[in-house]
Amino acid sequence: MNRGSLTEMLHCTDMTVLERQRARLKSQQQDQFHHQQPEVEERSGYFSELSGVFSGPSHVSQVPGFDGAAAGNSMIGPVKADPGSENGWSEMGKILVPGFGFPGFEANFSISRTASCTPLAAAAATTTAEVKDKISGAAAAGKVSFKKRKHDKIQNTKVVVEDEIKDKRLKGCAEEGDSKITDQNNNNNNNNKENSDNNSKENSKVSDVQKPDYIHVRARRGQATDSHSLAERVRREKISERMKYLQDLVPGCNKITGKAGMLDEIINYVQSLQRQVEFLSMKLAAVNPRLDFNIDNFFAKEVFPACPPANFPTIGMSSEMNTNPAYLQHQFNPLQQQIVSCSGNEMVINPPDMGLRRTISAPVSIPETFLDSSCFTQLQHLLPSSTTWDADLQNFYSLPFDQDRSTTFPSHQLFTGSIEASNLKTEM
Amino acid sequence: MRAPNSLKQEFLKKWKSGLQICSSCSKNMSIFERKKAIKLSADVAMASARNGRTCWSRALIANASKNDNNKLLVEHILGNSEFQRLNKISIMRPTMSNKRVRCKKILKRSCGTIRRVSKRVVPQKILASCVAKRLSTKRTQVLKSLVPGGEFMDDVSLIEETLDYIMSLQTQIDVMRSLANATELVLRSKNEQW
Repeated sequence: MNRGSLTEMLHCTDMTVLERQRARLKSQQQDQFHHQQPEVEERSGYFSELSGVFSGPSHVSQVPGFDGAAAGNSMIGPVKADPGSENGWSEMGKILVPGFGFPGFEANFSISRTASCTPLAAAAATTTAEVKDKISGAAAAGKVSFKKRKHDKIQNTKVVVEDEIKDKRLKGCAEEGDSKITDQNNNNNNNNKENSDNNSKENSKVSDVQKPDYIHVRARRGQATDSHSLAERVRREKISERMKYLQDLVPGCNKITGKAGMLDEIINYVQSLQRQVEFLSMKLAAVNPRLDFNIDNFFAKEVFPACPPANFPTIGMSSEMNTNPAYLQHQFNPLQQQIVSCSGNEMVINPPDMGLRRTISAPVSIPETFLDSSCFTQLQHLLPSSTTWDADLQNFYSLPFDQDRSTTFPSHQLFTGSIEASNLKTEM
Repeated sequence: MRAPNSLKQEFLKKWKSGLQICSSCSKNMSIFERKKAIKLSADVAMASARNGRTCWSRALIANASKNDNNKLLVEHILGNSEFQRLNKISIMRPTMSNKRVRCKKILKRSCGTIRRVSKRVVPQKILASCVAKRLSTKRTQVLKSLVPGGEFMDDVSLIEETLDYIMSLQTQIDVMRSLANATELVLRSKNEQW
């Protein structure tokens, strides 16, 4: 009885013990299960957020480090997950900080490492701004932990992180040139030191701010702000910008201020260019009696190597050209005198003309140019009456000498030009 | 380098074909006819090398193809499909006036008015701005007459087109000058040989 009862008791106690143990095990398992499940969920949620924030592949590679830091802190109790995605970083700081100060720091460190990679790969300026602000949120969290546990290492890392942030902010300012975002960043900086919740709000705000695609027009004090005058101002700015390009393109236009003077200069330059075209086509017409240029022969070796030769039938020069150089010289001397006297006459007639300052330099450089050209001997052959030709020539040459700047160019200058022109080409 | 070499090559290629056409059309030309032909072919070649993207080149082509004699040349230089396309564009646009204003005269006249105005008028702020505006508008008109097709442009596009026009004129001059120099060199060497 006793034994039986004892055994019963024992059994009973056994049963109870067993049952108790089982129940305890069960409850523990259930507890553990309950504990583990939200943790896993949370972690996966954060990591998805992380990968969402850092879309670049380099950031993904940094995430496992963070994972390890978080996995080391598996003792952290479950914290209810906040659904707000932009709060993720500050939440993370909150989670990690109460458990251990040190793991929190670790997590922050890993974050800062990822952050140091981000601006290199980030393409858009807005995303960098977002990331920056998230980093600053993390830094704020780090500060909270720093207040709780005064650790030298943490201070060091915090300083590093803040330096990085400062650098990035400077970069961001240079890239964007937008005062709005930088202002908000500054606000962020101030708010960070007080509160991390505020920071998360700011984060959401900054992420909303996009880079504007409209032209930013700002009216100064006393300027009209209605749409018409704003449009007019935009138009004027456009014109002045193009005028700057023209200033670079047109030689001698740098010193002139004022729209009228610049337009004058541009007009003169365009006229001179058009006259040069006339002159050169006249010259070519004089040289070639049949309009047959064996261009490929000329340019295959010297100037245009890319032009395929032997496309064009090469016909030899006409036999009219066999005049000896002495005769040539003889022919040219009166011509030079004509040119010089011609420009001299012009100088006498209207001295106050602006174009004449350029004309003065003309007789110096012209004879060299024309001495080289053997085209005029041919003219004598072609034109039977030399008197009409002289008249024509006078008319012809008095034109380009008037305001022409062709004379300032050396004749052997084939393809050397200003470098600004090519720059301008790319800008156009 | 003033302009990219590709533009020069394009221009040279088109100019060459234009010259070929010219020489095949008429054998015996006087020097002025030749000069005109050379200039026209060079202009059209330059305009077509710009691919008809700019207003001035389209206007230049439209002006050139107005004359029946030149139409064949223009068509050849451009190539048939290009010619049709550009003709469509030019038909849609208002036809360009053919007359060329004597720009120098206008310039001189405008200079004269400056002097007169500045002598007569007591310098006041409003009047000064008025004068400045008048000066710049006069010069803008002159520039419009210089750039082909400039009559139908507003200020901003006029300056853009002027930029492009100056660039291509420089290219054209470079190529023409080098061609002339090369021709001279060949001639001189032949003279020395004989």
